[in-house]
Amino acid sequence: MATQETQVLDNIIASRRALLVGGGAALAALAIAKPAAAASTVTAYTDNDILNFALNLEYLEANFYYLAAFGTNISTSNSLYPTGAGVLGITGTGTQGTVVTKATTCKVPFTTLQIASYCVETAIEEGKHVAFLRTALGSKAVAQPQIDLVNSFNALASLAGIGPAFDPFASDATFLIGAYIFEDVGVTAYHGAAPLITDKTMILPAAAGILAVEAYHAGLVRTSINALDPTGSLGLLGYTQKISAVRTGAAQSAATGTKVVDDFGLQTQTVSLGGGANVTATTIVDADPTNVVAFSRTTTQVLNIVTGGNATTSGAAAKGVFFPNGLNGLFS
Amino acid sequence: MNIPSVDKISDLYQKGLSRRNFLAGAGATGAATVLAGCGGYNPAMTTTVTTTAYTDADILNFALNLEYLEAEFYLRCATGSGLSVADAGGSTAGTVTGGAQVTGLTSAQQNILNEIAYDEQQHVRFLRSALGASAVARPNIDLTNSFNALASAAGIGSTFNPYANFDAFITGAFVFEDVGVTAYAGAAPLISAAGVTAGYLAAAAGIMAVEAYHAAYIRTYLTAQAIASASYPYLGYANKVSALRATLGGGNETTLTVPTGTGPFITTIPTPSAIVAATTTNAIAFARTTDQVMHIVYGSAGAGAGYGAGVKSGAFFPNGLNGKIAATLS
Repeated sequence: MATQETQVLDNIIASRRALLVGGGAALAALAIAKPAAAASTVTAYTDNDILNFALNLEYLEANFYYLAAFGTNISTSNSLYPTGAGVLGITGTGTQGTVVTKATTCKVPFTTLQIASYCVETAIEEGKHVAFLRTALGSKAVAQPQIDLVNSFNALASLAGIGPAFDPFASDATFLIGAYIFEDVGVTAYHGAAPLITDKTMILPAAAGILAVEAYHAGLVRTSINALDPTGSLGLLGYTQKISAVRTGAAQSAATGTKVVDDFGLQTQTVSLGGGANVTATTIVDADPTNVVAFSRTTTQVLNIVTGGNATTSGAAAKGVFFPNGLNGLFS
Repeated sequence: MNIPSVDKISDLYQKGLSRRNFLAGAGATGAATVLAGCGGYNPAMTTTVTTTAYTDADILNFALNLEYLEAEFYLRCATGSGLSVADAGGSTAGTVTGGAQVTGLTSAQQNILNEIAYDEQQHVRFLRSALGASAVARPNIDLTNSFNALASAAGIGSTFNPYANFDAFITGAFVFEDVGVTAYAGAAPLISAAGVTAGYLAAAAGIMAVEAYHAAYIRTYLTAQAIASASYPYLGYANKVSALRATLGGGNETTLTVPTGTGPFITTIPTPSAIVAATTTNAIAFARTTDQVMHIVYGSAGAGAGYGAGVKSGAFFPNGLNGKIAATLS
């Protein structure tokens, strides 16, 4: 058994190393793979710290979708709430903040039934994630931190080269681009966190299940953008590429090893099927192009994205963009 | 401060063992026959074994069987041909019955199909590479009679040809993707502590996410088409498939809905869609045991006999899965 298992582990490790460099230059990756693997098991954080990190992100997502769908934030009552939505708790440890929004209503004037219905569905689901994590954490749950949904999008748009300002609540299309900013990041965050979790009986299955839901959302958003702008003539595909470039830049500036591209916008790619000729394909899935395993990011990398590049590997508190006063909890 | 000690790793390992028992399915906690200790492949495993211990390699090989199925389906839909001989495991690979190129596609539809086919092909390659010499070869796969039997069991009709057009293909694809998500979601927590360190868990979670991206594409497409045309039949077919999967696979399904409402939605909201397959209470994606997944891909109820323990072939896998996880224990 030892021989077999050792060999399998070696193969997996070798494969993971190849993944890090996109295949081919496996030797070059040897140096960075070991610390990456070690980080998966040796951590100074508890499961509660990890869940609280996730809760910060869920507060952000839930507020975005509630505002887009219903026009109010998650802690405000609204007669529009359908089954499954409702006022959510935002109290807890740390400094409780408010949600900064534009002066006029954030309720998106959706013209398309499907996009409007997707928004309502996603709002309900992200709200349930907030409620679930708060229940799981009990008295240890962090409060909702200060969240900015105005200056954040403007800053990101400027950084991405989209323009000086961007209102994700303006239309069906801008809403989808706003949603695009979050969902793939949610996937990478839960993916990076999953191996850090020690309680594999209760916590890990829940985290894996939320990871899958974030991937469903990401797939939904990417599919919808692709359907709305199949040729890219509306500029939406270009936006996704620019946003992905910003995300990968922020994530990789906080990477401790070799820098890799860990984010792909909507575009066509060339693939080989069955060893045959190359064909063109979409990029509905945001994953590494060799093994097609979804990307994973460390908490520092995720922090660097949501706070606009202010996270450092030295542990200094990161604040900015979506979280002007930083996150609540140990991961900050 | 909380550097894991040897005790903690040992504790994790113990948890891993208990979770492996969970693989056998609820209630099946009889006498255990530990097969993993010798590392031997045991093709003679019988239904009298109620509980067994699986290695990480066993779990990844279980996933590999499912990836072979998905890859063969999508590759044949995209190009008319399946995996290369090398990718299928060489001369010991099983046969593939059926499968055909879906023709008459727009370039946008072909590009989508190409992407999913490529993704699943790379999952096969990745798992085979990860497993090395331990990788199982492709089992016999049926892509014709399986869909007919499924259609019959689901109440869609006596036959179903997923290769007829894009919408039929999407409905065929619907059979697999949500199941892939639940299979990986169920398998991820079973991976041992050593497997977590080695990257097995991260790999399984990352593949699960990709399956969810695929599932979302399919469910979004079906929903959009049903909104566009009241007479669109394929969402209804998909829901019949979903109901059958629920029967075979312990529930764990979210029925697709057709949202209603009239835009622009200035002061109103539409009814929500149901793109995500997840629990109603917490919006956490479903997880299935290996037994539940096998009952689905073996089409247990359609086979008409042996629904429960001891089902080891049928539907998409006429000769069963390759590897240690191949027969249902519950």
